Amino acid sequence: MSDALEAAAAACDEVAHELEQALAHVRVAAEHYRQGAAPRGAAHAWAAHGHLLEATERLGTQAREHARRSVPQTD
Amino acid sequence: MSRGGYVMHLGRVPYAEAWDLQRSLAGAVSQGAIPDTVLFLEHPPVVTLGRRTDESAELHIPEANNVEVVETDRGGKSTFHGPGQLVCYPILDLKRHGRDVKQYVRNLEEALIETVAPFDLTGERIDGLTGVWLTSPPRKLASIGVHVSRWVTTHGYALNVDLDPAPFTDWITACGLEDATFTTVAREVGRDVTVDEVRPHAVAALEAVFGLELEELPADDGAGLWAQPVHHELAAK
Repeated sequence: MSDALEAAAAACDEVAHELEQALAHVRVAAEHYRQGAAPRGAAHAWAAHGHLLEATERLGTQAREHARRSVPQTD
Repeated sequence: MSRGGYVMHLGRVPYAEAWDLQRSLAGAVSQGAIPDTVLFLEHPPVVTLGRRTDESAELHIPEANNVEVVETDRGGKSTFHGPGQLVCYPILDLKRHGRDVKQYVRNLEEALIETVAPFDLTGERIDGLTGVWLTSPPRKLASIGVHVSRWVTTHGYALNVDLDPAPFTDWITACGLEDATFTTVAREVGRDVTVDEVRPHAVAALEAVFGLELEELPADDGAGLWAQPVHHELAAK
Protein backbone atom coordinates (compact mmCIF):
# COMPACT_ATOMS: atom_id res chain seq x y z
CA MET A 1 0.00 0.00 0.00
CA SER A 2 1.25 3.47 -0.76
CA ASP A 3 1.97 5.96 2.00
CA ALA A 4 -0.86 8.15 0.73
CA LEU A 5 -3.40 5.34 0.99
CA GLU A 6 -2.15 4.36 4.44
CA ALA A 7 -2.51 8.00 5.53
CA ALA A 8 -6.06 8.06 4.12
CA ALA A 9 -6.92 4.85 5.96
CA ALA A 10 -5.49 6.21 9.22
CA ALA A 11 -7.51 9.40 8.80
CA CYS A 12 -10.66 7.32 8.33
CA ASP A 13 -9.84 5.33 11.47
CA GLU A 14 -9.57 8.58 13.40
CA VAL A 15 -12.93 9.75 12.05
CA ALA A 16 -14.47 6.43 13.06
CA HIS A 17 -13.03 6.82 16.55
CA GLU A 18 -14.52 10.32 16.85
CA LEU A 19 -17.92 9.05 15.69
CA GLU A 20 -17.81 6.14 18.13
CA GLN A 21 -17.13 8.57 20.94
CA ALA A 22 -19.95 10.82 19.77
CA LEU A 23 -22.27 7.80 19.73
CA ALA A 24 -21.27 6.82 23.26
CA HIS A 25 -21.85 10.36 24.54
CA VAL A 26 -25.32 10.75 23.00
CA ARG A 27 -26.35 7.40 24.46
CA VAL A 28 -25.20 8.52 27.91
CA ALA A 29 -26.90 11.90 27.35
CA ALA A 30 -30.19 10.14 26.62
CA GLU A 31 -29.83 8.08 29.78
CA HIS A 32 -29.22 11.17 31.93
CA TYR A 33 -32.11 13.12 30.38
CA ARG A 34 -34.43 10.19 31.13
CA GLN A 35 -33.23 10.30 34.73
CA GLY A 36 -33.99 14.04 34.87
CA ALA A 37 -30.31 14.99 35.11
CA ALA A 38 -30.50 17.83 32.56
CA PRO A 39 -27.06 19.43 33.06
CA ARG A 40 -25.32 16.07 32.95
CA GLY A 41 -27.28 15.11 29.85
CA ALA A 42 -26.48 18.43 28.22
CA ALA A 43 -22.79 18.08 29.03
CA HIS A 44 -22.66 14.73 27.27
CA ALA A 45 -24.66 16.10 24.32
CA TRP A 46 -22.14 18.92 23.91
CA ALA A 47 -19.32 16.44 24.19
CA ALA A 48 -20.89 14.48 21.33
CA HIS A 49 -21.20 17.69 19.34
CA GLY A 50 -17.48 18.32 19.74
CA HIS A 51 -16.65 14.85 18.43
CA LEU A 52 -18.96 15.34 15.44
CA LEU A 53 -17.25 18.62 14.58
CA GLU A 54 -13.85 16.98 14.91
CA ALA A 55 -14.97 14.14 12.62
CA THR A 56 -16.37 16.63 10.13
CA GLU A 57 -13.14 18.61 10.08
CA ARG A 58 -11.03 15.48 9.59
CA LEU A 59 -13.28 14.24 6.80
CA GLY A 60 -13.05 17.64 5.16
CA THR A 61 -9.27 17.57 5.37
CA GLN A 62 -9.22 14.09 3.89
CA ALA A 63 -11.62 15.14 1.12
CA ARG A 64 -9.44 18.13 0.22
CA GLU A 65 -6.36 15.92 0.14
CA HIS A 66 -8.19 13.43 -2.08
CA ALA A 67 -9.29 16.22 -4.42
CA ARG A 68 -5.77 17.63 -4.55
CA ARG A 69 -4.34 14.28 -5.55
CA SER A 70 -7.18 13.58 -8.02
CA VAL A 71 -6.62 16.55 -10.31
CA PRO A 72 -5.72 15.04 -13.66
CA GLN A 73 -2.39 15.96 -15.14
CA THR A 74 -2.77 18.22 -18.13
CA ASP A 75 -0.50 18.09 -21.13
CA MET B 1 -14.83 42.90 29.18
CA SER B 2 -16.44 39.64 30.31
CA ARG B 3 -16.80 36.68 28.00
CA GLY B 4 -19.74 34.31 28.07
CA GLY B 5 -19.29 30.79 29.32
CA TYR B 6 -21.24 27.88 30.69
CA VAL B 7 -21.28 26.49 34.18
CA MET B 8 -22.73 23.06 34.82
CA HIS B 9 -23.51 21.51 38.20
CA LEU B 10 -23.34 17.81 37.56
CA GLY B 11 -23.88 16.36 41.02
CA ARG B 12 -22.02 13.19 41.99
CA VAL B 13 -20.21 11.76 38.98
CA PRO B 14 -17.86 8.75 38.85
CA TYR B 15 -14.29 9.83 38.09
CA ALA B 16 -13.98 7.96 34.80
CA GLU B 17 -17.19 9.47 33.41
CA ALA B 18 -16.14 12.97 34.43
CA TRP B 19 -12.70 12.56 32.89
CA ASP B 20 -14.10 11.28 29.62
CA LEU B 21 -16.58 14.14 29.62
CA GLN B 22 -13.85 16.70 30.18
CA ARG B 23 -11.74 15.42 27.32
CA SER B 24 -14.68 15.47 24.95
CA LEU B 25 -15.85 18.89 26.07
CA ALA B 26 -12.29 20.13 25.63
CA GLY B 27 -12.63 19.08 22.01
CA ALA B 28 -15.89 21.00 21.73
CA VAL B 29 -14.30 24.11 23.30
CA SER B 30 -11.28 23.76 21.03
CA GLN B 31 -13.56 23.53 17.99
CA GLY B 32 -15.50 26.62 19.10
CA ALA B 33 -18.69 24.58 19.41
CA ILE B 34 -19.16 25.80 22.96
CA PRO B 35 -17.61 28.64 24.95
CA ASP B 36 -15.40 28.20 28.02
CA THR B 37 -17.22 25.71 30.22
CA VAL B 38 -16.86 25.03 33.93
CA LEU B 39 -17.97 21.76 35.50
CA PHE B 40 -18.74 21.54 39.21
CA LEU B 41 -19.27 18.11 40.71
CA GLU B 42 -18.43 15.69 43.46
CA HIS B 43 -16.81 12.31 43.05
CA PRO B 44 -17.50 9.06 44.85
CA PRO B 45 -14.39 8.07 46.83
CA VAL B 46 -11.43 7.72 44.47
CA VAL B 47 -7.65 8.09 44.60
CA THR B 48 -6.15 9.70 41.51
CA LEU B 49 -2.54 9.66 40.46
CA GLY B 50 -0.90 12.50 38.59
CA ARG B 51 1.98 12.35 36.13
CA ARG B 52 4.51 12.90 38.94
CA THR B 53 3.11 10.31 41.34
CA ASP B 54 5.59 7.90 42.90
CA GLU B 55 3.19 5.01 43.59
CA SER B 56 5.53 3.05 45.84
CA ALA B 57 6.12 6.05 48.07
CA GLU B 58 2.67 7.62 48.03
CA LEU B 59 0.14 4.78 48.06
CA HIS B 60 -0.55 2.88 51.27
CA ILE B 61 -4.25 2.16 50.98
CA PRO B 62 -5.37 -0.39 53.61
CA GLU B 63 -6.60 -3.58 51.96
CA ALA B 64 -9.99 -3.24 53.66
CA ASN B 65 -10.61 -0.02 51.72
CA ASN B 66 -11.59 -1.12 48.28
CA VAL B 67 -11.26 2.38 46.85
CA GLU B 68 -10.88 2.98 43.14
CA VAL B 69 -7.42 4.14 41.99
CA VAL B 70 -7.17 5.98 38.66
CA GLU B 71 -4.05 7.04 36.76
CA THR B 72 -4.66 10.40 35.13
CA ASP B 73 -2.88 12.77 32.75
CA ARG B 74 -2.97 15.75 35.09
CA GLY B 75 0.09 17.29 36.62
CA GLY B 76 1.03 16.78 40.24
CA LYS B 77 1.02 13.79 42.52
CA SER B 78 -1.64 11.64 44.17
CA THR B 79 -4.80 12.96 45.75
CA PHE B 80 -8.11 11.80 47.15
CA HIS B 81 -11.60 12.80 46.04
CA GLY B 82 -14.80 12.06 47.89
CA PRO B 83 -18.28 13.39 48.66
CA GLY B 84 -18.16 16.72 50.48
CA GLN B 85 -15.38 18.01 48.25
CA LEU B 86 -16.19 20.65 45.64
CA VAL B 87 -14.48 19.58 42.44
CA CYS B 88 -14.13 22.16 39.69
CA TYR B 89 -13.02 21.36 36.15
CA PRO B 90 -12.69 24.57 34.11
CA ILE B 91 -12.45 23.80 30.40
CA LEU B 92 -10.99 27.05 29.17
CA ASP B 93 -9.31 27.98 25.94
CA LEU B 94 -6.12 29.61 27.21
CA LYS B 95 -5.70 31.32 23.85
CA ARG B 96 -8.33 33.65 25.31
CA HIS B 97 -6.66 33.78 28.73
CA GLY B 98 -3.03 34.58 28.13
CA ARG B 99 -1.43 31.31 26.91
CA ASP B 100 0.42 30.93 30.20
CA VAL B 101 -0.06 27.67 32.10
CA LYS B 102 1.76 28.85 35.23
CA GLN B 103 -0.39 31.96 35.36
CA TYR B 104 -3.47 29.79 34.85
CA VAL B 105 -2.58 27.76 37.94
CA ARG B 106 -1.95 30.98 39.91
CA ASN B 107 -5.36 32.20 38.76
CA LEU B 108 -7.01 29.01 40.00
CA GLU B 109 -5.34 29.58 43.36
CA GLU B 110 -6.62 33.15 43.38
CA ALA B 111 -10.14 31.92 42.60
CA LEU B 112 -9.93 29.47 45.50
CA ILE B 113 -8.69 32.19 47.86
CA GLU B 114 -11.66 34.37 46.84
CA THR B 115 -14.04 31.41 47.19
CA VAL B 116 -13.22 30.79 50.85
CA ALA B 117 -12.93 34.48 51.84
CA PRO B 118 -16.71 34.83 52.49
CA PHE B 119 -16.27 32.14 55.16
CA ASP B 120 -13.71 34.37 56.90
CA LEU B 121 -10.93 32.03 55.84
CA THR B 122 -7.68 33.49 54.56
CA GLY B 123 -6.39 31.13 51.91
CA GLU B 124 -2.74 31.44 51.08
CA ARG B 125 -0.14 30.17 48.65
CA ILE B 126 3.04 28.50 49.85
CA ASP B 127 6.17 29.01 47.78
CA GLY B 128 7.10 25.96 45.76
CA LEU B 129 3.76 24.22 46.30
CA THR B 130 0.52 24.41 44.37
CA GLY B 131 -2.86 24.55 46.02
CA VAL B 132 -4.36 26.73 48.70
CA TRP B 133 -3.42 26.54 52.34
CA LEU B 134 -4.39 27.97 55.68
CA THR B 135 -1.64 28.98 58.10
CA SER B 136 -0.29 28.74 60.78
CA PRO B 137 0.38 25.87 61.06
CA PRO B 138 0.08 25.01 57.34
CA ARG B 139 -3.08 23.05 56.53
CA LYS B 140 -4.00 22.23 52.96
CA LEU B 141 -7.52 23.24 52.01
CA ALA B 142 -7.54 22.74 48.24
CA SER B 143 -5.51 20.87 45.65
CA ILE B 144 -4.85 21.79 42.03
CA GLY B 145 -3.85 19.60 39.10
CA VAL B 146 -4.26 20.61 35.48
CA HIS B 147 -3.71 19.34 31.98
CA VAL B 148 -3.45 21.55 28.91
CA SER B 149 -3.71 20.33 25.34
CA ARG B 150 -3.94 22.65 22.33
CA TRP B 151 -4.25 25.42 24.96
CA VAL B 152 -7.50 23.95 26.29
CA THR B 153 -7.52 23.06 29.97
CA THR B 154 -8.87 19.98 31.74
CA HIS B 155 -8.80 18.85 35.37
CA GLY B 156 -8.74 21.73 37.86
CA TYR B 157 -9.15 21.95 41.62
CA ALA B 158 -10.69 20.13 44.55
CA LEU B 159 -11.76 22.17 47.56
CA ASN B 160 -12.29 20.28 50.80
CA VAL B 161 -15.66 21.53 52.02
CA ASP B 162 -16.85 18.93 54.53
CA LEU B 163 -15.32 15.48 54.42
CA ASP B 164 -13.12 13.32 56.57
CA PRO B 165 -9.57 14.28 55.51
CA ALA B 166 -8.09 11.03 56.89
CA PRO B 167 -7.68 9.39 53.44
CA PHE B 168 -5.23 12.15 52.43
CA THR B 169 -2.79 10.82 55.00
CA ASP B 170 -3.99 7.33 55.95
CA TRP B 171 -4.48 5.99 52.40
CA ILE B 172 -1.95 8.03 50.48
CA THR B 173 0.76 10.58 50.99
CA ALA B 174 -1.31 13.16 49.20
CA CYS B 175 0.56 15.52 46.90
CA GLY B 176 3.72 13.63 47.90
CA LEU B 177 3.92 15.73 51.06
CA GLU B 178 5.08 13.84 54.13
CA ASP B 179 3.62 15.17 57.40
CA ALA B 180 1.23 17.53 55.62
CA THR B 181 -2.04 18.33 57.34
CA PHE B 182 -5.29 18.55 55.41
CA THR B 183 -8.32 20.48 56.51
CA THR B 184 -11.82 21.40 55.36
CA VAL B 185 -13.94 24.54 55.28
CA ALA B 186 -16.37 22.99 57.79
CA ARG B 187 -13.62 22.08 60.22
CA GLU B 188 -12.17 25.59 60.07
CA VAL B 189 -15.45 27.45 60.54
CA GLY B 190 -16.70 25.02 63.17
CA ARG B 191 -20.06 24.19 61.60
CA ASP B 192 -21.59 22.08 58.86
CA VAL B 193 -20.97 23.55 55.41
CA THR B 194 -22.38 22.04 52.24
CA VAL B 195 -20.92 21.97 48.77
CA ASP B 196 -24.08 23.76 47.61
CA GLU B 197 -23.32 26.62 50.01
CA VAL B 198 -19.79 27.07 48.70
CA ARG B 199 -20.44 26.64 44.97
CA PRO B 200 -21.99 30.10 44.27
CA HIS B 201 -18.89 31.70 45.78
CA ALA B 202 -16.73 29.47 43.59
CA VAL B 203 -18.65 30.53 40.48
CA ALA B 204 -18.37 34.23 41.37
CA ALA B 205 -14.64 33.88 42.03
CA LEU B 206 -13.98 32.22 38.68
CA GLU B 207 -16.01 34.92 36.93
CA ALA B 208 -13.98 37.65 38.63
CA VAL B 209 -10.56 36.08 38.12
CA PHE B 210 -11.02 34.90 34.52
CA GLY B 211 -13.29 37.73 33.30
CA LEU B 212 -16.11 35.34 32.53
CA GLU B 213 -19.85 35.70 32.71
CA LEU B 214 -20.92 32.16 33.45
CA GLU B 215 -24.36 31.09 32.42
CA GLU B 216 -25.78 28.24 34.43
CA LEU B 217 -27.42 25.40 32.62
CA PRO B 218 -30.66 24.97 34.60
CA ALA B 219 -31.39 21.65 36.21
CA ASP B 220 -35.18 22.07 35.95
CA ASP B 221 -37.11 19.33 34.29
CA GLY B 222 -37.21 19.98 30.56
CA ALA B 223 -34.43 22.55 30.58
CA GLY B 224 -31.63 21.68 28.27
CA LEU B 225 -29.79 22.93 25.28
CA TRP B 226 -32.24 25.53 24.10
CA ALA B 227 -33.39 29.00 25.19
CA GLN B 228 -29.94 29.80 26.52
CA PRO B 229 -28.63 33.26 25.58
CA VAL B 230 -25.17 31.95 24.77
CA HIS B 231 -26.70 29.30 22.57
CA HIS B 232 -28.53 32.01 20.64
CA GLU B 233 -25.24 33.82 20.14
CA LEU B 234 -23.62 30.65 18.88
CA ALA B 235 -26.53 29.93 16.60
CA ALA B 236 -26.23 33.40 15.09
CA LYS B 237 -22.60 32.79 14.08
